[in-house]
Amino acid sequence: MIICRCEEVTYKQLTETAEKYKCASRELKLRTRAGMGYCGGRTCRTMVDNIAHSFNGNERDCAQLTLKYQPPIRPISFGDLGDVKK
Amino acid sequence: MSKVIIIGAGPAGLSAAITIAENGLEVLVLDEYMIAGGRLLGQLYEEPNGNWWNGIKESKQLYEKALDLGVKIQLHTAVSNLEKIDSSWVIYTATETYYTSHLLLATGATEAPLPIPGWTLPGVMSVGAAQVMTNVHRVKPGNRGVIIGVNVLSSAIAMELQLAGVQVACITLPKMSLVTKESGNPMNVMNSLLHVSHMAPSAFVKFGSKLMKIEFMKKMGITFFPKNGVKMWDIPIMLRKAVIEIYGDNEVEGVTMATISPTGEVIPGTEEKVQADFVCIAGGLYPLAELAAVAGCPFYHIEELGGYVPLHNERMETALEGLYVAGNITGIEGAKVAASQGVAAGLSIVHNNGTSNQEQNIKKAIQDIEHTRDNAFIQFHPAVKEGKQKLQHYWEEHLNTVKDMVGN
Ligand SMILES: Cc1cc2nc3c(=O)[nH]c(=O)nc-3n(C[C@H](O)[C@H](O)[C@H](O)COP(=O)(O)OP(=O)(O)OC[C@H]3O[C@@H](n4cnc5c(N)ncnc54)[C@H](O)[C@@H]3O)c2cc1C
Ligand code: FES
Repeated sequence: MIICRCEEVTYKQLTETAEKYKCASRELKLRTRAGMGYCGGRTCRTMVDNIAHSFNGNERDCAQLTLKYQPPIRPISFGDLGDVKK
Repeated sequence: MSKVIIIGAGPAGLSAAITIAENGLEVLVLDEYMIAGGRLLGQLYEEPNGNWWNGIKESKQLYEKALDLGVKIQLHTAVSNLEKIDSSWVIYTATETYYTSHLLLATGATEAPLPIPGWTLPGVMSVGAAQVMTNVHRVKPGNRGVIIGVNVLSSAIAMELQLAGVQVACITLPKMSLVTKESGNPMNVMNSLLHVSHMAPSAFVKFGSKLMKIEFMKKMGITFFPKNGVKMWDIPIMLRKAVIEIYGDNEVEGVTMATISPTGEVIPGTEEKVQADFVCIAGGLYPLAELAAVAGCPFYHIEELGGYVPLHNERMETALEGLYVAGNITGIEGAKVAASQGVAAGLSIVHNNGTSNQEQNIKKAIQDIEHTRDNAFIQFHPAVKEGKQKLQHYWEEHLNTVKDMVGN
C-alpha cells in the first residue's frame, strides 16, 4: 500500500523504518524520502507524521511543527521562477 | 503599501475584507481558486430550525458585498511564499510580488487522507472533492459510491450526494492501521459521534439520538451496534464493518468489506464485496497553515482544533507583528464561526493600523465568536472550546517569555 505517492514509498517501508530507528518524523522522511516529492508532502505529511509518532513513543512535542514547510508551497513554472519574459 | 492584504476568499477572508473596507481602508484579497467563497461553496444542508444553508448563495452575498465596498479580489492567484523584510510583509505569487504591513492569513482547512489498499485507483477521491464536484461544478462523481470514514463531514456530504441523485451504498470505517488508529476504531468513532450529534444537521441529530435513546447501547458501547448499520436517510452507517481493500482493474469497481470487532480487528471469513464506481475517503480536516509556517509563526499541536495551529490570541493576532489569522487556519469549525473570526481580525487590523479606535468593537467581536461557537449547528470536535483554552494558555506563556526577554 502506497503512502507517499510522489516518491512511491509504501506503508511497509515506512513502518519498518520507523520501527527500526524509532525516529522522529523528520528523520523518517529523510530515510525514506516520503514527503519529499513534488507535492511537497501535501498529500502524505499527516500519515508520515502519524507513523513516526506511533513508534518513537515520545509524547508528541506539541510546541513544534514536526515536518517543516519549504517554499514555494505551490508549484511555480520554471519560466515564472526564472522571470523569463515571453 | 497602505493596502491590507488577505490571503483566502473564504467566509473568514471575505468577512474580514468587508469589515476593513467598511472602516475606510483599502483591501486586496488573493485566492488561488477560480470562485470566491472557499469551502463555504460546497455546503448545502438543512439547519435544525428548518432553514437551508446554501453555501453558494452565502458566498455570492459576501463576495458582492465586498466588491460593493471597493475590495479588490484577485482569484486564480496562489501565494507560494511569504517573508518579512524590514517592517513589511512580502507576498510572492507565481508572477507578482505584493507588500503590506498588515497581512491576514485565512487559508482555511484541508483534508487528511486515510490510506487503504487500492486507494490510488482512479475513482477514489477525498469526500471534499466529491462535495465540490457535486455542489459547485454540478458533476456527478459517479453513480454509486462508498464513503470510508464516519464523521460529521462525511455524513453531511453523504446527504448532499443523495440530494443530487448519487447513490451512497454505505458509510463505513477504514481498516485499522497505524495511520487510521482513531478513524478505524469503532468505539472511538461512536463516542465522537455521540458527542457531536446534538449539534449536527437535523437528520444527523436523529441518527445520534436514536442511539442515545438506547441506554444499554451507550453502556455496552459498540458491541451491539447492528452489523448492517443504522440507516440515516436510507444510507447505512456501518461501525462494525471496515473496508479492507478497494478493488478494480483500471478504476474503482468496488470495495471488499469485512466485519470488525469492537476494537477494530478484522474478523476473518467475513469478507464481502460491495460494488461501487467511486469511493470517497473522509479522514477529517486539519488547518491549512503552510504560509504561517513559512512566515515563521510558532505552532502548537492541539487535537481539539484539528492539528497544528499557529499561535495567536483572541484578537486574531499572531506572535509576529502585522500577521493575523482567521477561520479554519486557527482550528476546524463551521463557516459561521470562521466568518465571525474574520470580523474580529478585520477590526484588529483597523485598530492596529491607527485608523480608528476599535477597542469596544473588538471586545464585542470576541464575544460574538464565542456566541456563534456556542450556537453552531456543526461542530467538528466535541471539545473545541477546551482546545481554544489551551491555545490561550500557550499565548499567555508566550507573552511571559517575551516579557522576560525584554526585562533582561
Ligand atoms: C472539504 C471540506 C468540506 C467542508 N465542509 C463543511 C461543511 O459541510 N460545513 C461546515 O460548516 N464546514 C465545512 N468545512 C469547514 C470549512 O473549512 C469552514 O466551514 C469554512 O469554510 C472555513 O472558512 P475559511 O474562510 O477559514 O476557509 P476556506 O473557506 O477554506 O477558504 C480558504 C481560501 O483560501 C484559499 N487559499 C488557501 N491557500 C492559499 C494560497 N496559498 N494562496 C491563495 N489562496 C489560498 C483557498 O482557495 C480558499 O478559497 C469544510 C472544509 C473542508 C476542507
Ligand atoms: S505524496 Fe508524499 S511528497 Fe507527495
